[in-house]
Amino acid sequence: MSDIEEERYEGTGFAPTTEDEEEREEQGGTHHDRGRKYSKQRPRREDEEDEDEDDEDDDEDEDEDDDDEDDEDVEGVGRGSKRQKRRHKRAAVNRFLDVEAEVNEDEDEEEEDEEYGGDEFIAEPEGEGDDEEGVRRTVHHARLDRRDRELNDQDLARIAEDVSQRYKRSAVRYTGDMNEVPQRLLMPSVQDANLWQVRCKPGRERDLVFSLMRKSLDLEFSNRPLQILSAFERDSLPGIIYVEARSQKQVSEACNGLVGIYPSRGVTLVPIDEMASLLLIKKQETTVNPGNWVRIKRGKYQGDLAQVVDITENGEEVGLKFIPRIDLNPKDDVVIDGKKRKKTGQAVSTGVRPPQRFFNYEEVVKVYGRKMVSKRNQAYIFQNDTYKDGFIEKDFKLSGIVTENVNPTLDEITRFARGNQEGEGMENAVDLSLIAEASRKAAIAVLQPGDHVEVFEGEQAGVHGVVESIALDIVTVNPVGAFDLEGQKVQVPARSVRKRFKPGDHVKVMSGKNADESGLVVSVSGNIVTFLSDMSMLEVSVFSKDLREAAEVGSGTNIVGNYELHDLVQLDNQTVGVIFKTERDSFRVLDQNGQVRLVQPHQISMRRDSNRAIATDAEGYELRVGDNMKENDGEGRKGRILHVHQSFFAFLHNREILENGGVFVTRARSLVSLAPKGNIIRPGTDLSKMNPALSGGAVTGGMVGSGMGRGPRDRLIGVLVTVIKGPQKGYIGTIKDTNGPIARVELNTNNKVITIEKERLYRRNKDGKLEPLEGGRDSMGPPRGGFSDGGFGSSGGRTPNPYAPSGGAGWGGGRTPNPYVVGGGKTPAWGSSKTPNSYAEGGKTPFHTSSQTPNPYAQDGGRTPGWGSSARTPNPYTAPSKGAAGAGWGGATPGWGGATPKPTSSSWNDSSSAPSNNGWASPGPPASGGWGESNWSAATPAFGAPTPASAPTPGGPGYGSTVYNAQTPAGMFTNRADMPRRLQPHIHHMNGRGRQHSIG
Amino acid sequence: MASSTPSALIPSQARSKNLRACLLCSIIQTPVDFRRNGCPNCEELMQMKGSPDRIQACTTTHFDGTIAVVDPEKSWVARWQRTNKYVRGVYAITVKGRIPEDVEQELEAQGIKYRPRDQTEVD
Repeated sequence: MSDIEEERYEGTGFAPTTEDEEEREEQGGTHHDRGRKYSKQRPRREDEEDEDEDDEDDDEDEDEDDDDEDDEDVEGVGRGSKRQKRRHKRAAVNRFLDVEAEVNEDEDEEEEDEEYGGDEFIAEPEGEGDDEEGVRRTVHHARLDRRDRELNDQDLARIAEDVSQRYKRSAVRYTGDMNEVPQRLLMPSVQDANLWQVRCKPGRERDLVFSLMRKSLDLEFSNRPLQILSAFERDSLPGIIYVEARSQKQVSEACNGLVGIYPSRGVTLVPIDEMASLLLIKKQETTVNPGNWVRIKRGKYQGDLAQVVDITENGEEVGLKFIPRIDLNPKDDVVIDGKKRKKTGQAVSTGVRPPQRFFNYEEVVKVYGRKMVSKRNQAYIFQNDTYKDGFIEKDFKLSGIVTENVNPTLDEITRFARGNQEGEGMENAVDLSLIAEASRKAAIAVLQPGDHVEVFEGEQAGVHGVVESIALDIVTVNPVGAFDLEGQKVQVPARSVRKRFKPGDHVKVMSGKNADESGLVVSVSGNIVTFLSDMSMLEVSVFSKDLREAAEVGSGTNIVGNYELHDLVQLDNQTVGVIFKTERDSFRVLDQNGQVRLVQPHQISMRRDSNRAIATDAEGYELRVGDNMKENDGEGRKGRILHVHQSFFAFLHNREILENGGVFVTRARSLVSLAPKGNIIRPGTDLSKMNPALSGGAVTGGMVGSGMGRGPRDRLIGVLVTVIKGPQKGYIGTIKDTNGPIARVELNTNNKVITIEKERLYRRNKDGKLEPLEGGRDSMGPPRGGFSDGGFGSSGGRTPNPYAPSGGAGWGGGRTPNPYVVGGGKTPAWGSSKTPNSYAEGGKTPFHTSSQTPNPYAQDGGRTPGWGSSARTPNPYTAPSKGAAGAGWGGATPGWGGATPKPTSSSWNDSSSAPSNNGWASPGPPASGGWGESNWSAATPAFGAPTPASAPTPGGPGYGSTVYNAQTPAGMFTNRADMPRRLQPHIHHMNGRGRQHSIG
Repeated sequence: MASSTPSALIPSQARSKNLRACLLCSIIQTPVDFRRNGCPNCEELMQMKGSPDRIQACTTTHFDGTIAVVDPEKSWVARWQRTNKYVRGVYAITVKGRIPEDVEQELEAQGIKYRPRDQTEVD
């Protein structure tokens, strides 16, 4: 630290308060120089403390403190802060700083103080330190002397000025805020420092402003004083403080180190023209006036309505009047021990609070004893509270009451009124006009152009007409019926008009308890209108301001409580019903027995959801909520199903039925669908329509007839697998879902469902063998090559090889679709997986399933058109299997399409030189009429052609058709036999559950 | 830089509920400081020192916004608030309430126009 800096410091140092001080300070400056030379500030100070006059320092410091305070008191100068005084004082006694003392005094500024202390030390050294200074000055003696002289000579003027200033300060004159200048001339100019907006932690704004103030005072005499000019905060701008400074850097420096301030979130410049408005923000304050209604925020009377009686001059406290809550059943000890009372009293207040009740001297005396209550002109004093006219009168802080949105209810106010009557009479009657006023204001809001109004007060009283326009609270009325005013428009204050109704008007209630009721006006008296409710057929009286003419017959909202019109609700264990009508606070419910009940919301135990409920109709179809149905007996009512209960009762709605709001209940079994549905395959259904093969290969064909709502199920679902890779390696689980290459597997071990790539899964066979999950499919995919290529290899094993010799059993198991079918990756695995059923023995095969499957061939159609048409053809291969019952064939039909397919043409070619392709192609399309045997026969020829080989085939009896016999899957078998070994390794087939085992 | 303006006592507890703002000059202090030292700016008129009653009448807890006036002479904020001739210290932006009538009369006698600090009068 250079001397120069020291000098500067000294020169601009704080103003001394006395001449003495001034001198000393100047000396101090030199001392300080000397001191500084030693080293950095802090170490130096400590050194000195040690070396120097520790003891003395302490003692004197205390004295000094006393002096200090006395001094201040005596002087009565409000000016300097205590600290600053101290500073001067210290200077006066030429004390070194006592760090400890300083800390004690201003704990929160410890840090700054220490720093400051250093500075002060620097600034302080003075007269009294003479001896010590004598010692110390040895080095800089000459310099000090010079400075002394210098200052004494040169600064006399300044000293004088300082003196006068100090004096002035002790008797500051109030000069009136620069009154002469209007504020608009004080607008900031470009010469003024800027305002910077700094983000801070919400809630700490004020602390930060104070901290900045203290910090700037503390650093004032340091070598790095804060450069800011001011800082402020507004309650209405949380999380923001504003700092006035010349540059952003100064702001950042000032903010540095303060807790809760976020200069990193940006120190932004406030545009000059916005500066003033920041200081002009007005707090939204509601003024409280005597007579106003307020609510009490906290304590025993929390939420209670109170009326303002008076307000203290400074507006901080208000005297309130409200209904007391005196505990008339106090616990015993409360009465006995006066001191305890208070405590327990509070405890009680937190628990169950006594009800509102007007103060009754007799009652209270009976419970608490006569001496607890004293009377002082008209008022009773009880437990330090004043009770007058039954009310308690108490002062509350403004912050402890709610003044906005009080919304006193008529109930509360009438209670007040009652209290007043019981008390001193009507002299203090609650000013109902206040409320009336409020409601009248509301009335204006309710008024609309087109309303028929009547002027009921003022010059135009009696005039009635139609509201033409409303501007603020002036209503322009187009008079009706008054001849002299006809054609003129009349402007009246909105508060002077009220809506006019006449008997016979159909009205609707817009607000209030009866909101949304509608009805026919039966009488009008003054501003009270009585109408006959459409809903309850009861007479309802409401204020005309709440009414509006309306054509609608409103049951208003259809929602009461949690329940809505047409909800299925549980009434008791045995009874459910459907709400067919809502009234203001009750429902009409039609229960499942056809009884109509009137129930209150609380009588309903729950709402039921029948969205997923299903029942079967008279024809065996499933019926669901939302279906349009018709009764096939009884009245033959039609309707849309609202709810199904226990698959037996159906609640229907038809708005053409007047009874019970169009809701009726019937048995599901007696309903028939109005729209044809295809959920069930019934005999006689035209299967050809379902046959995708016949429908030109439309992919969707299979689905049409199926009625199967969702996409085919991945056949992998349900498969037992083992994880072969990854963290779960070795775990066994079941596939729950698949999505592309990903499968969700439920692990057996911990019941967790994991998501994992399919390639990490291996199928786990019954016998514990593992094989690739999709391997079967993949390997079979390209069976294009014919038998070669392991189409038969069945390594994939899903697909049981149809050729398996296992005969009937094999077929029956048939999950599988013919591997060949799968035209490479293209063909939907589904097709194949499902088809198999057709092979299943006779009656067992679920026809549906087979029918559902889209015919793989159809898809392949493009390539091998022949297949499509041949699809019908019975699979020649099946023939050998005796097990395949004829019935099976019959039912399986659609399946056949899928099943039949056969190897790609090439394979045929291989196997049989025969005209394979043609043969396949030719197939007579099975009659659409169904799977008549004829179909079979039709198909057969094709087979016949290709397979000259053995004609072993025992067609199942079911097959009946001779043609069938002719077919010769045998050929196939032969083929197979001929196949190169590698091609027919293991032949797998699946059992019914999709497991497979090698039979190879 | 260090100005020669004296500064008021800065309340140590910024969040203290009982900080009070002078109705005339808007300075914020604790009641204790007001009692001990009076108002650093307008004690001459207010005479609050040692008189809790006067303090109650002449100061209020109902103020909004606080300003740390570090350099009253140069600060525009202080000038706008018309506190630029006052001591350094923490001031309120708006203060609710009016000074007692006797003070108002006194001000009038001195030819000084009283401006309430509640922003009700804008000029």
